Amino acid sequence: MRRLFEISKYRYIGISIAMLCSVIAFAQSNLTYELKVGATGDVQVLTDFPESYAGEKVNIRIQTATLKVESQKTAAFKDLDFVFVNEGPVEGFDSIYSYVDEADVRWVVWRNGKAIKNRAQRVLVGNAYNTFEAYLHEQLDQKKNHGWIWWVFAGLLLVGTAIYGGYIFYSRRKERDLSPVEQETLRRQRMGLRRHYGSQLYLWLLLMVLYAPIALIAVFSFTKSKVLGNWTGFSMDLYANLFTGQADAGLNSAIWYTVVIALVAATCATILGTLAAIGIYNMRARSRKVVSLLNSVPMINPDIITGISLFLLFVALGMSQGLGTVCIAHVVFCTPYVVLSVLPRLSRMNPNTYEAALDLGATPGQALRMVMLPELWPGMLSGFILALTLSVDDFGVTFFTKGSGGLETLSTFIYSDARKGGLTPELRPLFTIILLVMLTVLIYINIRNSKQEEK
Amino acid sequence: MSKVIQIFSSRRTWAWPYILFMLLFVVLPLILVGVYAFTDIDGHFTLHNFAKFFSHSEAIQTFLYSVMIAVFNTAICLLIGYPAAYIMAQEDFKTPKVMAMLFILPMWINFLLRTVATVELFNMLGLPLGEGALLFGLCYDYLPFMIYPIYNTLQKMDNSLVEAAQDLGASRWQSFWKVIVPLSMPGVYSGVVMVFMPTVSTFAIAELLTHNNIKLFGSLIQDYITTTDLLNYGAVLSLVLLIIIALTSFFGDNNNDGEKGGMI
Repeated sequence: MRRLFEISKYRYIGISIAMLCSVIAFAQSNLTYELKVGATGDVQVLTDFPESYAGEKVNIRIQTATLKVESQKTAAFKDLDFVFVNEGPVEGFDSIYSYVDEADVRWVVWRNGKAIKNRAQRVLVGNAYNTFEAYLHEQLDQKKNHGWIWWVFAGLLLVGTAIYGGYIFYSRRKERDLSPVEQETLRRQRMGLRRHYGSQLYLWLLLMVLYAPIALIAVFSFTKSKVLGNWTGFSMDLYANLFTGQADAGLNSAIWYTVVIALVAATCATILGTLAAIGIYNMRARSRKVVSLLNSVPMINPDIITGISLFLLFVALGMSQGLGTVCIAHVVFCTPYVVLSVLPRLSRMNPNTYEAALDLGATPGQALRMVMLPELWPGMLSGFILALTLSVDDFGVTFFTKGSGGLETLSTFIYSDARKGGLTPELRPLFTIILLVMLTVLIYINIRNSKQEEK
Repeated sequence: MSKVIQIFSSRRTWAWPYILFMLLFVVLPLILVGVYAFTDIDGHFTLHNFAKFFSHSEAIQTFLYSVMIAVFNTAICLLIGYPAAYIMAQEDFKTPKVMAMLFILPMWINFLLRTVATVELFNMLGLPLGEGALLFGLCYDYLPFMIYPIYNTLQKMDNSLVEAAQDLGASRWQSFWKVIVPLSMPGVYSGVVMVFMPTVSTFAIAELLTHNNIKLFGSLIQDYITTTDLLNYGAVLSLVLLIIIALTSFFGDNNNDGEKGGMI
């Protein structure tokens, strides 16, 4: 039996994933269902909802928010699952009504002539608890039906691990025919490997935790449901929506703005940064130090500081914020990285070739184009790619410099989406694709590097 | 005309546009934060904003709380990240490059999306959102920043020093504490700085991970700076944050020799 467990390092991975699945399955069977319920003024919210449902224990936590004008907290209105509304006029509000918009129920509060739009699952008039209960049961059914999937998953993994283990066990038995010396060398080899299993396990566990949320996004990109975490059957619809432009209009424009801003900012940063790197390289040591320090300031500054300081600059200059200011801001934090990726190339280059070109009658422009650029372009390219990724990934700086004209990049779009309580479903396939592309690129670079090292 | 050509062909001057750009869009804005902090809404000099900060208990509490969260997060990242970096830097570890790549890869997914996914994961597992979720999410987002610099220094470390220590009779444990740990300190310092600075200034993540129940200093700044009449007060808060950042990077600069920027 002991030998069965010493089969291979893959058993750790198999067993630990299976354990994780069981934990998830267990958590699902004992699920907590949280509801955010709001009510106007004197409508009572039912809070003593039965704790068990269909034989299984269900904890229902109900967060209530009474909608009063005095509270001044508009946040309390947001992201409610249920809203109970008085039938008559409500004190403090001009009016409240609900409408259905793209399958979501929205409800609108009119207060002091201003409309506050909100999203809720259902809006009920008066004390309509029957509808409330029915909806709740429906939701619980949907959630609970999926608990068993995890048990199946865990079981399959365990069976797979056992089969693999059995195979190894069987193949080891054949080794009995070997001579004692050969058996001993094999045993030694295995002992050497085994010493590292503990540390390998630690790394893989860490990676599993790191990748769990990402895996969640990737898995749920293959189902149509609006809410992440609710499996409604396999479907490629989200991918189709993404590529045929049927996704949310806001998402489409956010993707375009992200691409445009990244390309513009990275191009400007590469040109500016390369020129700057050449300049810095040819400076005297002292001024070089000063400029290098200046160069490191945007890299050290956290996003929020860069964003706020630029925001204050644009306010002070009276510039209207939009695409232009976002591009400038992105150039600010991208260029230092371009400078840093071009500088090492310069120090590897023979400094005399440029002078030689000039002596041989080339103009500075020709010398730059025909002597410097061929040497520098790998550094420029990696700087450009780095700038692209930094720009696409940025949230803090964009958030403060995008102004209020409705310009959204992917990051700010996700942020405002998440604050509204949901995530546009097409984001899931989008980021799954990005992840796969990145994975391919990194693997390619890795293989290429290791091949170069072999040479 | 010849003088113009001369200036142009001296390559030193090629950095001038960049220097000008940086002065305008990096140095000037940072000065402006200070200017706004010391003026009122009409542009007159005042210390009122600072007085307001020191008597504004919510702001001070939020500030201290954020610093505490950042310290905790940095400590957790160090405790989890150091062993990982150490394992990867072992000589007989077969696939360090692939491992390092796998640890960095999640960072190419937008951090907000990862945060939202973390929230969903917590919901699926039936775990409550709150302080625990916040610490998990922050650690999850910044752990690679801790692992990578430590891994870099450990990998560059001269292994013969460890062997020498062991030859001279040090136990494995002794050679770890007396040789490896002190030699890896530059990496640890830059890891600490790279985790602490973004955590202390974080906003958005906290809102999502705690359903708006916990407010960090970054969110507070965001609230004030985006409100027109309170912009000057927001500038004071930013200045406080800026001082913390400057202190941290000073601490980092004294102790490391430029591990930053080596991320990719």
